[in-house]
Amino acid sequence: MSSNDMSMSQASSTAREQGASAGTATIDATGKTLLDVRGISKSFGGLRAVDDCSFTVTRGTVTGLIGPNGAGKSTAANLITGFIRVDSGNIHFDGKDIAHLPVHQISRRGLIRTFQITRELEHMTVTENLLAAPYDRLNESFWLGMLGLPVVRKQENANLQRALKLLQDFDLYHLRDEYAGNLSGGQRRLLELARVVMTNPKLLLLDEPFAGINPVLASRLSSYIEQLCQEQGITFLIIEHNLAMVERLCSTVVVMALGKRIAEGTMAQLRDNPAVVDAYLGEG
Amino acid sequence: MLHTLLLSFGFGLITASILAIAAVGLSLQFSITNYINFAYGDLLTFGIYAAFVVNQRLGWNIWLGLLVAILATAILAWLINLLILRQFTDRNMSPIMMLVVTLGVSLILQNVILAIFTEQFQSFNLNTGTPLNIGPFLFTPLQLGIIGLAVVTMLAIHALLRYTRLGKAMRAVSDSPELARVSGINTRLIVNAVWLLAGALGGLSGVVLAFNVASFTPTVGFGFLFVIFAAVILGGIGSPYGAIIGAVVVGVTTELSAAFISSEYKDAIAFLILIIVLLIRPQGIFASRGRA
Amino acid sequence: MYYLLTLAVFGAIYGTLAIGLNIHWGYTGILDFMYIAFVAVGGYVTALLMLPPSQPAFQEFYVLGLNWPFIPAIIVGGLASSLLAFIMGLLSLNRLRSDYFAIVTVAASLVLYTIAGNDTPLVNGWDGISGIPQPFQSVLNLDYNSYQIFFLGLCIVVLIITFLFSERLRRSPFGRSLRSVREDEMVAQGLGKNVFALRLKAFVIGAFFAGVGGSLLVIYVDAFNPSSWTTGETFFLWAALLLGGSANNWGAMLGALIVPVLFGEITRFLPTSLFPSPQIVDAFRYVAIGVLLILTVRFRPQGIIAERRFRVRKSKLKMLEPALAGASAGGGVHITDADFEGDPGTLPDRDAGAPRGEGPTI
Repeated sequence: MSSNDMSMSQASSTAREQGASAGTATIDATGKTLLDVRGISKSFGGLRAVDDCSFTVTRGTVTGLIGPNGAGKSTAANLITGFIRVDSGNIHFDGKDIAHLPVHQISRRGLIRTFQITRELEHMTVTENLLAAPYDRLNESFWLGMLGLPVVRKQENANLQRALKLLQDFDLYHLRDEYAGNLSGGQRRLLELARVVMTNPKLLLLDEPFAGINPVLASRLSSYIEQLCQEQGITFLIIEHNLAMVERLCSTVVVMALGKRIAEGTMAQLRDNPAVVDAYLGEG
Repeated sequence: MLHTLLLSFGFGLITASILAIAAVGLSLQFSITNYINFAYGDLLTFGIYAAFVVNQRLGWNIWLGLLVAILATAILAWLINLLILRQFTDRNMSPIMMLVVTLGVSLILQNVILAIFTEQFQSFNLNTGTPLNIGPFLFTPLQLGIIGLAVVTMLAIHALLRYTRLGKAMRAVSDSPELARVSGINTRLIVNAVWLLAGALGGLSGVVLAFNVASFTPTVGFGFLFVIFAAVILGGIGSPYGAIIGAVVVGVTTELSAAFISSEYKDAIAFLILIIVLLIRPQGIFASRGRA
Repeated sequence: MYYLLTLAVFGAIYGTLAIGLNIHWGYTGILDFMYIAFVAVGGYVTALLMLPPSQPAFQEFYVLGLNWPFIPAIIVGGLASSLLAFIMGLLSLNRLRSDYFAIVTVAASLVLYTIAGNDTPLVNGWDGISGIPQPFQSVLNLDYNSYQIFFLGLCIVVLIITFLFSERLRRSPFGRSLRSVREDEMVAQGLGKNVFALRLKAFVIGAFFAGVGGSLLVIYVDAFNPSSWTTGETFFLWAALLLGGSANNWGAMLGALIVPVLFGEITRFLPTSLFPSPQIVDAFRYVAIGVLLILTVRFRPQGIIAERRFRVRKSKLKMLEPALAGASAGGGVHITDADFEGDPGTLPDRDAGAPRGEGPTI
């Protein structure tokens, strides 16, 4: 997997240098399904948080997941990424069934999430946060780490190079040696995004990335997301309350309410959908 | 054979009684504060020596000594929280660090008592009364008294939790501290109350423990701590009712097994129960607050 | 002079032990209260391998007794500790939150302690083991004093090896992964790290050094019985590590040096009337440890020597320069949202590397 990482990052950096949206899909409505959620359910005690919910996410898109409070979006996110087990239903990612896999195995297949409240690795520096991110044999293997073979050192340098480049892109380069715990709120958001990008993900599930941040940062963040989708072909599933952002970024939006998926489409379509309007008005 | 078993079962009930009082105290405290108090066993020890001083050194009546033990330990527990533990909980320290802190408290408490009273074996010189035959069992009046005391205590705690405002507030905080706070419950007050209560129960348990053993030293409470852990975790940490059940199971099992295996291994049996429970079903029988 | 020598040997051995414990706690955030059991197992196994066969006629009961030379014996001793750690970790690391795990480790330690004491044929019960042949002595044939110095040298060599190994571990990608597990287990999982496997590996590796240190200890003290490894000893090491500096090997060695010395010296300056007996001295020492623990966690949780910060060295930057266009510090327009919490050079309020995400305390 490590050599794949290298070639992918090389490909994307070459593409950027050429200023081209190099063949990676933009909005492709007839493209393959990357994430296929079918009939998932989860109950806590007597409460059905997610109730027979189904939707898909198309490869290469920025898809939104919206809904009133209590709709079950966060629970769905936890179910999809494996932090909670489904009671029933299927989840297929890139063609494979991931519903009962442990979190780290789901992550290794390229389905990565961010958290609603940013969780940085506090007592590690910004650079280290990024270096710790990719999954590869090198990061996990005790023996490889200790032997210090040339291939190891090469990989480390390559990772470092990528990390520093990412920091530059996200404008965090000047903080590279700073403890992540010392960063401001906005910087933490950026770090969290940079960190997950570092893993070369296929699908990024962002959990309310725009919550409580100022418009300048929001704008910046959404530019990054667009860029990452178009230039590196990363698919996004964004849970968000900020409907303006959702409208700007997302080609498709899934609406949840009371644990179910109640609608799917473009924002324009959803605006006219009585069920959607009801759900939002009904929450008061 | 059957006779031995029944005798052991009887001993088990007594141990269970002593254990239950302590286990409920620990469980209640954990359910509110969400960290494990490593110094709890030493609170028991403190209670024992408080009663000891009052009874053996000052010559007061033993039951008065018991009362003093309960009050003194309650106050000590409350003070420890106020002066030491709050320094850390106010800063939102993780449960692990709290464990380390309470470990420090345990070392201090235990060894101060040790320094004062030395390692000498002590005991209360009690007139236990002649053993009575109750059904198939053989109990002395003192032992019956211990069991009775335990039952009364359990009922009192139950009444507290069910019917009083304080008890209901405690249950609310235990279920969801944020919700309780938002509902206007004074969580500070509840925390103080639970430390007083845990201390009182600890002191009581310690003294009856001392009544039941031939002699004690300043490390007796710490040794008992892991037996208490076994009971509490078996029953489901954070659940006072589970703690009672855990106490009965652990108490009876250790005594019964002592009938078969050398009694030196009695404590080890309790530890094994602890380990097995933690490995198989860490949330215990009645899973309550605090994921394991 | 002899006193200094003893202190130095203990310092070196405890240093090795502290570095091993650091791999558990400082690197990975495992609160392990049975570390002393690993020390004991390593010590026992090495001793059992090096001793001549047991002589029941002389009231000595133990297994093995194979008269092995030192180096293979100490390595196998370390591996035995690792094996125990592997079993313990396999059973319990995956299922328990950290403070429960700590309790299991104490319980396990107590069970082992009881078995070792009562199960005489295995390791001679409460009487313990003694009479272990001195390493290399048959080859060197030194007189008593010279041998003491040689042994000190041996311990220092072991310490240096342990230190270098641990430093390398810390700086490796594997070490970084361990730190990520320590910092935030959920994030680590979300980044594809197999948290259980990483913890287990760290647990096993740290235990190896416990075993090695334990072997040296057993040989030096030459009278090793269960009372040498009560849970009190674990707490002793813990205090040393926390005070000296978790996640920092220099800190670990510093703590290992300070705490025993403090222990020895702290009672010297107090009036002897306070201490009518050695038990009281011991008690006082433990009170001091307790106070030290509390004060350290409160005021300096990272310990005296804090964890080293990972900085990208200028030389590395130079090497990578061609690919990093415009890589000067502070290049570009910053987001206006950028005010710092705390000043840039310091550590945030540190929880001594305690793993997070396990719920607040009241």
